[in-house]
Amino acid sequence: MLISSTGLSLRSGNTPILDHVNFQVAAKEIVVLIGPNGSGKTTLLKALLGLVPAKGEIARKPGLRVGYVPQNFARDRSLPITVGRFARLFADRAAVDAALERVGIAALADHQLSTLSGGELARVMLARAIAAKPELLILDEPLAGVDVAGEAALYHLIAQIRDEIGCGTVLVSHDLHVVMAQADRVVCLNGHVCCEGKAEQVVSDPAFAQLFGPRVAGELALYAHRHDHSHEGHTHG
Amino acid sequence: MDDFLYRATLGAAMLGAAAGPIGCFVLWRRMAYLGESVAHMGLLGAAIGLLMGVSPLIGVSALAIISALLMARADNGLIPAGSFVGIVGHAGLALGFILLATMETVRTDLLGYLFGDVLALSNMDLVSIALAGTAIVLGTVFFWRGWLMMTVNADIARAEGRTNRFAEVAFLVLVAVLVAVGLRVVGALLIVALIIVPPAAARPLARTPEAMAIIAALIGAASAPLGVAASYWKDIPTGPSIVLAAIAIFLATTLFARISDAARARA
Repeated sequence: MLISSTGLSLRSGNTPILDHVNFQVAAKEIVVLIGPNGSGKTTLLKALLGLVPAKGEIARKPGLRVGYVPQNFARDRSLPITVGRFARLFADRAAVDAALERVGIAALADHQLSTLSGGELARVMLARAIAAKPELLILDEPLAGVDVAGEAALYHLIAQIRDEIGCGTVLVSHDLHVVMAQADRVVCLNGHVCCEGKAEQVVSDPAFAQLFGPRVAGELALYAHRHDHSHEGHTHG
Repeated sequence: MDDFLYRATLGAAMLGAAAGPIGCFVLWRRMAYLGESVAHMGLLGAAIGLLMGVSPLIGVSALAIISALLMARADNGLIPAGSFVGIVGHAGLALGFILLATMETVRTDLLGYLFGDVLALSNMDLVSIALAGTAIVLGTVFFWRGWLMMTVNADIARAEGRTNRFAEVAFLVLVAVLVAVGLRVVGALLIVALIIVPPAAARPLARTPEAMAIIAALIGAASAPLGVAASYWKDIPTGPSIVLAAIAIFLATTLFARISDAARARA
């Protein structure tokens, strides 16, 4: 186990954000975190990373190397810094060059960080996070702003990276289709863990239909069905 | 030229050179308001130092460091952190002013605390500026990478365990020390200008954070002889002249950047 929480709870004022969340990530596992707006996905990641104080227990593998892509990355034009220099703050030159190459943005190395488009910035953030070869990759909507073609390629890349450097990955995403294709395990969050398991199991769970509506659930169940070649013992939503 | 002009130039130049690089972080992190409030609390520190019969510099340094560490902990709540810090700073300014005004012996020095008294720098003052400036520059070099990581994104730096509390405490302490020694030179009302104007002037000329820090140090140092010279020839107050010299350089580099951008766009 790379990181786990037991009974994690967090309130903002009087509003409960997280309620006794048990969550864990094993080595080499891609866990996808889904849930509606305000369901506490980002907060759960931040609590796991120690960025916000929370009640409950968080256990980390000692010396765990984390790569984090936050949901928002505010750039500041008052700070002059190139993409390459920015990434080299966190990893050595060879690792940075290789990571930029992998994500397809080697040409951006000498560009100023503040002049990038949203899609370019998302790629830079992903490259920076993987450059230092983390054991745990935490990606909070990492592909916001990336075009559709790029998105599919980058999700594929995230899975490839997991295979190569063997990192556990937590991914928050709103693109349920891609999520279904890449996840080893899906955790559906709405303040508490509503349901979790393999993608096929989760989309046919009544809690999932309640959260995302029967239309989305039906569509995804159909999708899961098409991609599930075992055809054994699953129920149709 | 008289000795006191050399001392003024040397003291202000050392202060400006030390302020430039760490001032870049104050600019990037939008912490000018914190520096200002620390300077305001410094006035209270000077008053307390005088009341207790110790050197005002000790009172100023102590209160500046304590208030910087406390105020940096302010969170955005029902009122924004910056406004809260401003309230605390102004409380210090008002209280310090009242305390100083009730002490007969120092009444004439009030203006000195607000706008500095750079022409009165003693050799001891120069030594303390040199020591503080050296500590600030060495600290900035030593913590450079960690501070930069915290500046580009504090959440990433914390989540990935790239920072430690000590580096951030050191940043606040060094800014407070800078404010404390700067109080003597340009005063509580103008010290923040000496911290953020040279970096702002350096920004259009730099493509890397390191270049910006070095250029800011040079501009900070250059403002001193320019300001002292202007003050000498025109017989105007020296501290404010030094600040205006830095602002003149800021206007020049900003204008230069605008013109060269426009020329490039036309080409």
